[in-house]
Amino acid sequence: MITHLEGEIEGIKKKIFTMTDGAIEAISNAIESLKTMDVKLAAKVIQNDTRIDKLEIQIDDDCVRTLVTQQPAASDLRLILSFIKINNDLERIADIASNIAKETIRLEGRPQIHPESDIPGMATTCINMIKTAFEAMTTKDVSMAAEIISIDREVDELNIQVYRELFTLMADNPQVMPQALGLIMVAKSLERIGDHAKNIAERVIYYIEGVDIRHEKS
Amino acid sequence: MKKIEINALNFYYNDTKAVNNVSIDVDKNTVLALIGPSGCGKSTFLRCINRMNDIIPGTRVEGDIMIDGESIYQNKYDVTSLRRKVGMVFQKSNPFPKTIYENIAYGLRINGITDKYEIEKKVESSLKATALWEEVKDRLHQSAIGFSGGQQQRLCIARTIAIQPDVILMDEPASALDPISTQKIEELIHELKNEYTIIIVTHNMQQAARVSDYTAFFYMGDLIELNKTEKIFTKPDLEMTEKYITGKFG
Repeated sequence: MITHLEGEIEGIKKKIFTMTDGAIEAISNAIESLKTMDVKLAAKVIQNDTRIDKLEIQIDDDCVRTLVTQQPAASDLRLILSFIKINNDLERIADIASNIAKETIRLEGRPQIHPESDIPGMATTCINMIKTAFEAMTTKDVSMAAEIISIDREVDELNIQVYRELFTLMADNPQVMPQALGLIMVAKSLERIGDHAKNIAERVIYYIEGVDIRHEKS
Repeated sequence: MKKIEINALNFYYNDTKAVNNVSIDVDKNTVLALIGPSGCGKSTFLRCINRMNDIIPGTRVEGDIMIDGESIYQNKYDVTSLRRKVGMVFQKSNPFPKTIYENIAYGLRINGITDKYEIEKKVESSLKATALWEEVKDRLHQSAIGFSGGQQQRLCIARTIAIQPDVILMDEPASALDPISTQKIEELIHELKNEYTIIIVTHNMQQAARVSDYTAFFYMGDLIELNKTEKIFTKPDLEMTEKYITGKFG
């Protein structure tokens, strides 16, 4: 028999997964809109962000209600505390994707530069980090979650690499400055999404092991 | 600093072992909560600490309990002085059918205090310590029977602390009380901790989390886990404890 608390947790988990799908779709569509200069797709990303914002509030309300009415302890408590923080990370990820989509709209009509950059690769890595974090949560696999933290370093390095490449392009041809600055912002945004994915992995480890590894120097 | 040392304690009701090889040290000025399902031995264990079980026929104790380094189960140990040192508060409040004043003064008198001024001082300080003074100071010579459940329980605690024990044992002291009275008792436990060492049996997990420094989880007479309360309720060491406190037991 499923207890009331288990039912509440399942309900929140479903919403968190919906939120995750929404955040991943936002990243994917934002980068696709930038690659293809599809402003309609960019507008859709911005519009969908409102849906994610509403879901964030719903999840927070559900978590508070469950804490107050069910007074969970141990792993149940850690899971709900993790949900609250992961919820915030997912909302921020969707916000950042929305900012990338705004960049597509801002760059509309300008010639594309540096199509071979690592930006799409960064986006794919970030999406995989988020997916892996949730797989680690479902399977309670700490080593899988820990792997995400090392992948974040790769995303950080890619951001620096993209920055260098675009800086060189600007130095060679100042006319591409608006596009280059836009792409630098996009790479930086993806780097921040990687940070949020890392945060999610840290919350997953906290849920599984009860250990807070935030701010640990590696 | 260790106040109570319990070493390999076994307790039997005839042939039935109710407490199985339990060892716990309790530090001075801390609150230890005992949790576990009904029949797990936690109340029996609690009553071993002031030898309340001695009066039950067919019971037997093995192992030892030391308070301030002195074995309370040694031959010729003065049980009356033990009960003075280790006070007890029960689930059901049990004030004497006397006045509020007499409820506290009685224990003082049978403990040899005859000076009226000293008794008055102790009645007042005990009632103040249990936050009852303001509520009852104008009717000290009225019967305590008309009190609410919460007031009666606080009077029983006042009666207990009047004789200045070192240790207070509480067996579900707030289980029959409304939330406001429960909160007062819990606040009182926080206050009393500065002066006394407290061991409390409770079925209310949130209460254990709120009032205690350490929590011991009992199951079928065994001590399963003893840990800091914060640890027990966030990340217990054992899966069995986790299952019990998350309600996934059995």
